[in-house]
Amino acid sequence: MSSTPDGSGNGDRGMMPADLRNVQFTRAPMLHPGYVDTEVDRVIHRAAEELARHIAEKAELRDRVRALEAQVNGTPVHVPPSEQAVRILAVAQQTADHYVAEAEEFSRQVTSEARAEYEEQVRLARENAGAIIQAAQEAAAKIGGGVPAGADTGARSMEELQEQVAYLKAFGQAVRVQLRSYLEALLADVETEWGRADPAGLPLAAPRPPAQRAGHDDDTGPATTFADNTVAESPPDDAGGSLPATAGSRSSS
Amino acid sequence: MRANFAKAAATGDEAPLYFYAHLFLSHPETRQMFPVSMAHQRDRLFSALGDVVARVDDLDALVPILQQLGRDHRKFGTLAAHYPAVGASLLATLEHFDDAWTPELAKSWSEAYDLVATVMIQAAEEAAGQPAWWEADVVQHERRTIDVAVLQMRPRTQYDYQPGQSISLETDLRPRLWRYYSPANAPRPDGLLEIHVKARDGGPVSSALVRQVGVGDVLRLGPPLGHLALDADSDRDLLLVGGGMGLAPLKALVDQVARNGPARRVDLFVGFRTGEQIYDRTALQQLEQANPWLTVTFAVSDDKTSSLEQGEVGEVVVRHGPWLSREVCVAGPAPMVDDTVSRLRQHGVPPQRITSEVFAPSRPGPSVDGEVTE
Repeated sequence: MSSTPDGSGNGDRGMMPADLRNVQFTRAPMLHPGYVDTEVDRVIHRAAEELARHIAEKAELRDRVRALEAQVNGTPVHVPPSEQAVRILAVAQQTADHYVAEAEEFSRQVTSEARAEYEEQVRLARENAGAIIQAAQEAAAKIGGGVPAGADTGARSMEELQEQVAYLKAFGQAVRVQLRSYLEALLADVETEWGRADPAGLPLAAPRPPAQRAGHDDDTGPATTFADNTVAESPPDDAGGSLPATAGSRSSS
Repeated sequence: MRANFAKAAATGDEAPLYFYAHLFLSHPETRQMFPVSMAHQRDRLFSALGDVVARVDDLDALVPILQQLGRDHRKFGTLAAHYPAVGASLLATLEHFDDAWTPELAKSWSEAYDLVATVMIQAAEEAAGQPAWWEADVVQHERRTIDVAVLQMRPRTQYDYQPGQSISLETDLRPRLWRYYSPANAPRPDGLLEIHVKARDGGPVSSALVRQVGVGDVLRLGPPLGHLALDADSDRDLLLVGGGMGLAPLKALVDQVARNGPARRVDLFVGFRTGEQIYDRTALQQLEQANPWLTVTFAVSDDKTSSLEQGEVGEVVVRHGPWLSREVCVAGPAPMVDDTVSRLRQHGVPPQRITSEVFAPSRPGPSVDGEVTE
């Protein structure tokens, strides 16, 4: 590892592991015994390993110092994302959106088909039940047809009574409607008279636009928020009346 | 700036796609603030940005909008620290789609963005007195019909709202998808909220609320938004007309009259397609019996065998008139609201005494979510 020639890239100064490994000792003359060369080799090797470890450790520490410095300065090193990354993420997002849309569409189809089926079944069942009831009534009438006249008069008086009840109900309804029309007309009269006497007393506001509800379900989020805003800002009724109005009902709630 | 924005907006989906990819790569922690599917979020981003750019010369109009946006974004978990991240990605996007990008342009965009962000952050901080969202326990969940459920939930901390308002809510089953529902009751001493939910076909949130959520589950609520409201100075008799799920806010108004007065006659008309769809019949009939000032009339438009009133609810209402002195609230799907309001005007009810709210049918994707909509 550290013994590669590249390891000495910055080797213009200081000793690099490779330098140690490449050291050549001159062999001692025969008469003067020198060091045992295997020992020398081993020491050199260990020194090289050690040096390599130190260099690696130094690099790691330098990185850590930089990160800490960045943290202290509060300026996280922020590299803007590359065009390529942006494109990849955009495509991935589009794919995901597509799947979600498809799933929703599928769910919509299945649900609406199920609902149609359900409504059809209920309708059929109801028709069926109606037919059964009718058949039963007919059968009952047939059986009842043999019964002597005494029961018949009872049925007739029952019928008469029911007719009378219906008549009275309708009469009562008609009277109620007439009374109410009369009252409403009176009220309207009073109002126009009052309006004529004191035109300022009547609200002269423009018709209110229907409030578009922001997203009960709708499609235009912030746009509707704007609409809501304007509605909230300019209550179409006379502002004098509606301001204390809200305050009042708030306190009472 | 406008020309530059137009270039990015002209690319359709490309620019928002680029923007979000850029944002998520540079700040991965922002990804979890958005729903899984970003499709609808992307539409929303540029329409909101367009709104801001269109009003950039009109600060008086722009500032309240931004303040509202800033407050709204609290429930998404948006922090002041997120704004610079969004700004950086926005600038990168605008630059990417403009060949004529200049440092001056960059400078004016970044100044404009700083202003927008400052206003939004300030509004969010001013609203810091109230929670960004409330947690509420579901204490009752009743399936009333094949696709309608009535939920009772109890917020863990006090939740103030007005009858007729709606609240956004989110369930953990569909994270980051917020939907609006109206409580069907006035605020009660025990804090319980009743909401009516119809599962829309393919609707991720509504289906989950109807079919999966149960007692013990926790929902998150956003701050309430105002729609229908009674004029508390008036004690005019009321005419309430609901179509389908539009019943909920009207029931809250009835409850308000019952709890807080003032004493007044209330006539409630509710239209459904068929008799079995009337999911809250028992409760409404009980209300009617308990309160002599209240009448409840059901109408069916597509159920010939039913003994209930036949026809579109607006038609039925006018048949039962006159209503000339009433204050009128109408809520329901758009065709029903339009039909009813025009019939009532023809009938002679002054337009300023008619309030209405349209319940639009759901779109399958996200509605009011995500944080980056400056």
